[in-house]
Amino acid sequence: MQGIVIPITMVPGNSTIHRMNPLPKLLWTLGILALSFSTRNIAVLGVAFLIGLLLVFYSGITKAYVRVAMILFPISLTLITLQSIAPAFPRPWTAIVGFGPFTIYQEGIYSGISLLLRIMAMTTWAMVTIMTSHPSDIFTSLKKIGMPYVLNFIFVMTLQLIPILQSEFGIVLNAQKSRAMKGSGFGAILPSMVPVFVGAIERVQQLSISLESRAFGSSGQKTSFRQVRMAFSDYVALFLGFLVPGAATYWVIVDKSLDWSHSMVFSPAFAITLVLGATIGFLIFVFFAIRAALSA
Amino acid sequence: MSDKKPIIEFKGVTFWYGGANDKPAIKNINLTIHEGEYVALLGLNGAGKTTLQLCINGVIPNSIMGEFEGEVIVYGNDTYDTPVREMAKFVGMVFDNPEFQLSQMSVAEEIALGMESLGFSYDEMTKTITEVLEIVGLRGLEDRSPFGLSGGQQQRLSIASALAMRPKILVMDEPTSNVDPIGKEEIFAVAEQLNREKNMTVIMAEHEVEVMAAYADIVVVMHEGEILLNGTPEEVFSNVDLIHKLGLRMPQVTEYAHRLNQLNLASIKKPYPVTLDSAVERFKDIL
Repeated sequence: MQGIVIPITMVPGNSTIHRMNPLPKLLWTLGILALSFSTRNIAVLGVAFLIGLLLVFYSGITKAYVRVAMILFPISLTLITLQSIAPAFPRPWTAIVGFGPFTIYQEGIYSGISLLLRIMAMTTWAMVTIMTSHPSDIFTSLKKIGMPYVLNFIFVMTLQLIPILQSEFGIVLNAQKSRAMKGSGFGAILPSMVPVFVGAIERVQQLSISLESRAFGSSGQKTSFRQVRMAFSDYVALFLGFLVPGAATYWVIVDKSLDWSHSMVFSPAFAITLVLGATIGFLIFVFFAIRAALSA
Repeated sequence: MSDKKPIIEFKGVTFWYGGANDKPAIKNINLTIHEGEYVALLGLNGAGKTTLQLCINGVIPNSIMGEFEGEVIVYGNDTYDTPVREMAKFVGMVFDNPEFQLSQMSVAEEIALGMESLGFSYDEMTKTITEVLEIVGLRGLEDRSPFGLSGGQQQRLSIASALAMRPKILVMDEPTSNVDPIGKEEIFAVAEQLNREKNMTVIMAEHEVEVMAAYADIVVVMHEGEILLNGTPEEVFSNVDLIHKLGLRMPQVTEYAHRLNQLNLASIKKPYPVTLDSAVERFKDIL
């Protein structure tokens, strides 16, 4: 199990972005999310992705980011393959080249590239936010703007539970191995589900009694131990977080000339290279993923 | 102990987890505990120790569903109609599996959790965190993840989290059962220190009879939901036959004294010695 788990948590550091309040970061991420879903324009999405990448380099989380992108990018490549032969795009479609039952469409290539860039832009920005903010700070600042206390607790607890369940899986798998059952691969994970989840339920019951005994969930005034401050620069970033992605989103919705789906013409050679490249890239990834899962 | 004031009173308490048709988990419990006492609860698994302890802060009957009869009065509050959050100011609870009681990202936040619910100010919280970490000997680990600590440290963190709410009573349910020998020592030492130095009432369910015999003022033996024996360690452990019949262990020196009697090698009067020191004192005259 351990080998195929990618930790998406805070990477300690002291960059400007690390020191920022989580709220503007979250707002920017939401803004980029809105922008990404509002346009298919390759240039706009590409720029959003590139700025995200610059922030990744700037905040010094490159290594952790690359580890996540290594998984995400090959999976996203399937979008190009699938979209090129079955575009999620209003007909009529313009065929570029056909082989056998498959036809590669102009709209498909365009749609595939823009979906890929959309995913990469959104996840890159989200990664910057998650990897530069302490989880407790994120929750505390959400609590400040009115997120219910209990919801917050659920998030914190879920984050904590993931590594615990992982290690419990390990224990159960070892127990199975010692009883000559299959101890690795997907075949072994299935029978270990029951003991792990029964254990998790027991844990949650005990935790709820323990929390109850510590006055958790009581009505009345609550305070917060974790202090998250909003500096002047945070207010500026927050304001810009409303303004910049908001304005950009408005622009991409209003400006019809940004629809390049037909004006951007792909040559048959480019289309074939792209689709084959994406397919091979994905298959190589699947091969390594299966090998890693089987040897884990 | 009669000069001390009674703070916990069980009056005819019976509790069924299911409906009243099943066997009750505890049956007609009458028990008085005085301020500053160290009470050891002994009994096999399923004897009702945990149920009895959960009654003290009102988790039973307020949070755990079941049939409840009788009355539990803690510092003048009837637990039946006092919310658990109110009881948390009197009673701190520590359970057997330390890992199952933790939920937060850092040691400091774990301790702060209860205080946040009670609305402590930030300054109060930081001060208290430092204080309780000092008591349990975990200073300097404030920013560590609770899940990265050893079992003994985790359990001491649970104690610290309970202490942060400034309870007068510390209820511990087999706190050392999931902890290594060094961790056990640490936990017993903390409980002992809280009892002796801060006059905290400690109610501990434990299987370590030697330790309980040495520390506890009162030993309560439970079996199938009932209290069979209740008295000082010397009084209780002198009922050798009954304790054997229940399948419980007893301090080795007590056992030794009893065997000497049985084999007519000596005639040691009851109450038997229960600790090594008292045994040395008693056997000095015989040998």
